[in-house]
Amino acid sequence: MGPYPCGSAAGGWEGVRSEAQCTAAPDIDGLLAGAGYRVRSSDLCQVAQRLERLESAMVYNSGGGHADYDHLASDAVHYNPSDLASWVDSMLSELTPADPGPVRHAPAPDGWVDQIYPQPQRAVAARMEEEEDSGIRLVHLLMSSAEAIQRGDAALSGSLIDEMRLLLTRVNTGFGIGKVAGYFVDALTRRLYSVSSPAASGSPAEYEILYHHFYEASPYLKFAHFTANQAILEAFDGHDRVHVIDFSLMHGLQWPALIQALALRPGGPPSLRLTGIGPPSPDGRDSLREIGVRLAELARSVRVQFAFRGVAANRLDDVRPWMLQVAPGEAVAVNSVMQLHRLLTDPDSPGPAPIDSVLSWIHGLRPKIVTVVEQEADHNKTGFLDRFTEALFYYSTMFDSLEAGRANGSAVQQQQATAVAEVYLQREIRDIVCCEGPDRAERHEPLVRWRARMGQAGFKPVHLGSNAFKQASMLLTLFSGEGYCVEEVDGCLTLGWHSRPLIAASAWRADDLEDNARPVPDNFIFSSISSTSNTNDSNNNNNNNNNIINGNGSMLRRNSNNNSRSSDSSSQQESIHGM
Amino acid sequence: MEVCGVPPEQDKTKGFSINDNADLLAEILGRLDGRSLGVAACVCRLWSRVCRRDTVWEALCTRHVSGGAATARAVVAALGGYRRLYRVCMGPVLERLPPARRDEAGHVSLSLSLSLSLFSIDCYERLGGRQRSSLLFLRNTVDVS
Repeated sequence: MGPYPCGSAAGGWEGVRSEAQCTAAPDIDGLLAGAGYRVRSSDLCQVAQRLERLESAMVYNSGGGHADYDHLASDAVHYNPSDLASWVDSMLSELTPADPGPVRHAPAPDGWVDQIYPQPQRAVAARMEEEEDSGIRLVHLLMSSAEAIQRGDAALSGSLIDEMRLLLTRVNTGFGIGKVAGYFVDALTRRLYSVSSPAASGSPAEYEILYHHFYEASPYLKFAHFTANQAILEAFDGHDRVHVIDFSLMHGLQWPALIQALALRPGGPPSLRLTGIGPPSPDGRDSLREIGVRLAELARSVRVQFAFRGVAANRLDDVRPWMLQVAPGEAVAVNSVMQLHRLLTDPDSPGPAPIDSVLSWIHGLRPKIVTVVEQEADHNKTGFLDRFTEALFYYSTMFDSLEAGRANGSAVQQQQATAVAEVYLQREIRDIVCCEGPDRAERHEPLVRWRARMGQAGFKPVHLGSNAFKQASMLLTLFSGEGYCVEEVDGCLTLGWHSRPLIAASAWRADDLEDNARPVPDNFIFSSISSTSNTNDSNNNNNNNNNIINGNGSMLRRNSNNNSRSSDSSSQQESIHGM
Repeated sequence: MEVCGVPPEQDKTKGFSINDNADLLAEILGRLDGRSLGVAACVCRLWSRVCRRDTVWEALCTRHVSGGAATARAVVAALGGYRRLYRVCMGPVLERLPPARRDEAGHVSLSLSLSLSLFSIDCYERLGGRQRSSLLFLRNTVDVS
């Protein structure tokens, strides 16, 4: 499904098209009119079939060599080739005079093809062809409409939208291009016709529900969580006081797995602090605290010392480092799953963007690891048409993958989760298409740009390692749909559908330690029998903490090298009151 | 088990039945694979009771892996036990592996740690008392060919 090229060719094409539209009847297909052929849009399918017949007649039925259709080039009289349908008919009747000859206005495409090709599969194939034609036409119309909007031609785009709505009634909108096109047409309509600010409204609670269903229906968020957890786990190796800052707590689904992994790590769990940032709850419930309580209960049951703190903020740039209360001597991890892109601004707008100040205070925390997971797409372009095109491809792929999951899912709940997940994506689509300026929050940028940004902000990349890759690959085998693929790109992992990456995970550090090469620890409490001796040796040779477990399970620790960083507290702005 | 076809006077094993020694039975059953263990649990009430022992499922889950058994036992018990771990997570995960790989040590230990992660999420959701389960996707059939 590729677009018709927009760009320099579009200018000339546009001229022809509008001329054709002025002079031709409104039901003539615009594209072919631009090429000089007049075909009614409703006849497109039939013409395609007849062309196919013509091709097979010419190629396959020529029993006697070239002579059979040579005359078509030299002797036949071609009446009005721009009337493509009848011209093809005349060619066909010249070639195969024994045929009864296709009737110009066939009663129904199915009946006609059954007459010539009695196999019943052809009817299905014909329908599929019609679907494909409509799909291509939909894409073509979407592009034209978007371009019209970019030029400011509201009337044209409005009429195109009406045409698309009509086409959508004839196309299967249950899956595929029909479904995605439906969402995009809806978004375009909103952009054109809604008077009030089209900002995506809805309470944070609603958003959390949508997010949870998206989590259930597809592997993207699970991939994000597991990959980030693996990086955090590896970074925390050897530290016994650790602090994780989560930029968007939601239901806290990322953290049970980390708590369990820390509980099982060789040498025993550290004491874990979690600071969860999230929007304030409107009805007076402290939803952040509720999540914290649940996580604390889980941690208590697996004997991990745990403390939770919630920071309520509507926007990340409202958060100040002092709110996080980072204590000196603890290893800090910052986790951002699809949050940083909200801080970006238009690429050509002057002045500093909120992202810069946020990245700089993150850097000031001297984190051992910063895990960044973002959509792998370029939806922050200023030009509307470019952005629209990118979004169309991205979300088509995304919906395809959801659809594959739904097709294989048996549980009713799974089907429901998929349906709600689509609403989650629809919100993003609306935001990208309808909102401009400060209203737009979904400003996705590709991994290469994030790499540059993090590098500029002073972060050093951390390679995600083969453990994360293997874990991600195995996670994917649990999901139906063989189209998912994990790739490693320069130490970052991407998860995609059919070789189109859709989500990218990367890790960074800013702790200014000397670059002594740490051996990548074996983080599984269970190691394979064959490699047991190696891992035990590396753990014993590690010159970090030596942990002694006494009878009731608590830890006595020998002196560690954590106090070497106490001099680095100048960037922190507050004093710590024992937490 | 009684030896078939041997007259009772010559049957040296008479007087010993595996059902007399539940610990021995558990030791043997711990060497079965998951499906056989499920079948064994249907044999009789004694066997069903023995198959409910978590140690049997622990032996199944931690086969091919080594290390940290004692700590892991406490954690897994807190999360819901090895039997539940196998039923909810590890069984489906192992089933997704191609049959040739199901005994490979590396894959099994990776399956175990992945299962533990998923299991902890399951435990967390049960704590919240919510009805929906993030692990429903494990019930879907997946083509493993």
